[in-house]
Amino acid sequence: MGVSPPLLSAAGILAAVIAMMVDGRRAVAIAVVFLAAGMAPTAATFGGAPGVAVLGGAAVAAVVLSMAGWVGGRLLPWLAGLDPTIPAFAPADRLFGPRSRRAFGAAIAVPIASWVSFNVPVGQVATVQGLLFPIAYAWTCGVVRLLVARTVEDLAVGVSMISLATGTAWLLRSGTDSLPGAALACLVGPLAALVAGWLNGRSSRGPHARIEAEA
Amino acid sequence: MIAAAWLGLGVLASAVLRRRTARLVALVPLAGAGLTFLAARSTVPSISLGGLTAITGLDRAGQGVLVVAGVSMAVVVALHPTVDVSVARSIGIVGAAVTVAMASSDPLVTALALTAAIATLVIRWISLSPGRATLAAGRVAGGGTAALVAASSFLPLTGFTTGFRPAVVGAMLAIGFAALLAVYPLGGWAAGLLGSLRPLDVAPWLVLLVPVVLLIAERIPGGVLGDGIPVFEHLLLIVGLGSAAWGGLWAVRGPARTRYGRIFMADIALSIAAVGGGRPSPAVVGALVIVLTHLTLAPILLRSGESGLRWPRRVAWTMLSGVPPSPTFWGRLLVLEALAAGNVGSTIAAVFAMTAIFVATVMACSTTLPVVAGSGWRARIPDAMAWGLVAFAIAIGLAPQSISGFVFGT
Repeated sequence: MGVSPPLLSAAGILAAVIAMMVDGRRAVAIAVVFLAAGMAPTAATFGGAPGVAVLGGAAVAAVVLSMAGWVGGRLLPWLAGLDPTIPAFAPADRLFGPRSRRAFGAAIAVPIASWVSFNVPVGQVATVQGLLFPIAYAWTCGVVRLLVARTVEDLAVGVSMISLATGTAWLLRSGTDSLPGAALACLVGPLAALVAGWLNGRSSRGPHARIEAEA
Repeated sequence: MIAAAWLGLGVLASAVLRRRTARLVALVPLAGAGLTFLAARSTVPSISLGGLTAITGLDRAGQGVLVVAGVSMAVVVALHPTVDVSVARSIGIVGAAVTVAMASSDPLVTALALTAAIATLVIRWISLSPGRATLAAGRVAGGGTAALVAASSFLPLTGFTTGFRPAVVGAMLAIGFAALLAVYPLGGWAAGLLGSLRPLDVAPWLVLLVPVVLLIAERIPGGVLGDGIPVFEHLLLIVGLGSAAWGGLWAVRGPARTRYGRIFMADIALSIAAVGGGRPSPAVVGALVIVLTHLTLAPILLRSGESGLRWPRRVAWTMLSGVPPSPTFWGRLLVLEALAAGNVGSTIAAVFAMTAIFVATVMACSTTLPVVAGSGWRARIPDAMAWGLVAFAIAIGLAPQSISGFVFGT
């Protein structure tokens, strides 16, 4: 029995939209987990169990490394840390905030991903079935998230979205190098989670120590 | 092993060194360059990573670029008035990443290595100076590496040399390289960085990353892209020439402290335009001569004008002016020859950019800044090093083909 392409696309879109909108100190890990879940049906179709294992491994690694980075950042000697959740500069107040721009970008990504899905073949896959759509959508959303980023956390989420989308695209190539390529591409997501966790841990320790010292 | 040495030494130096010994950070790129110089071509065909042929080894040109870039980075650190030891970590990671990128023939591994380099630099830049310019570096250069990573999943184009796929891949590669080389309209981030960060913090991008990315971009075409070649070449030609003209103009109009960065970006844009859209042979030689000249003179010109080296700086600016027999004269002549084979519009844009660069260098030469004079033998060391670099630049001008052949191979 074949897999319904609209179902694959729906799962990918849902995951990408959640990854686009998520904010906060655990944003990278959450984005990686949801994207891995959303891309898993596509990965299962073309990469089988190893494909799903790559995405599942990336999700688990992102959660573990994010926590490890946070703990490491808190345990090691305090340095003037960069808080990844604080905007790098304060833009003027506008009618539409950062989430509105991301939502607009997510909407714009639909026709782009649709065009790519129907016109750009990847590997041996015939694209007329629209199988590249969830991947192209997640990748475009990742680029949009990078381009409208305000914080280091936003950049890390964007990078992890691109990483998982590219990793799944490598699974669709169906060659001898598809699985190691996918694993390598997906590795970037957990590493982004580690860096974000590390920066979060370091910056969360500073104010507490200072407040305690002042008290 | 070379990449591991870069990484290990960088992390170790940033952990061990203190303010008094900060200048020893120069040993990190120097050791990396030394190891790259000593590395012979591997007898093993490739180091594989699963089914990926991850590392295939350095060729002669790649080896030459990495050695010169490493030595140049070491001299930048040695000549800089004050050194923050944490820069050693960035230098180490970027050095390791560019070594892997240059040694790999797999597009995914290359793209991921460049992503690691840019991510390291962006985090450092944002932590040093949070602001619009440093965040833009993450947005645009990060987007560029994303384009390269995405393009890797469509390569090679075996059986798909016609249709949309090669065109999309060509466009993604061109956008990726333009963003990493800070070519307009994707280059505003670098212009902002030059104004908001110390030269030493921008140097790992300027000295280590840009020459490597330029050489990797030069290797992309040649039948790999099929119908995507015109897209790739024309995009780089148009944005490169536009960027060179714009960069030259702003080198004349902009503040003195960003002048060298603007000229560097304009020259790199000219090179990428010629490499992308001109006749390959003179374009590549011209680009390599220009890169070699900048890597030689960057340690002097990145240093602030107020911190000494008045006369070496003046001679260095003359070497960049394009007046014969300066090395940039030969480099730009070859680039112009390559572009002139295309169309007259390219030639006019290139001549405009070169004229603007000449005017900017004359202005830089004629600007006199108050210099804090040092005394004793310690103060003379930077002068001696700077004169040595100037002498090497003069030698490049006198024998450009021989020296570029010696450094990059034939």
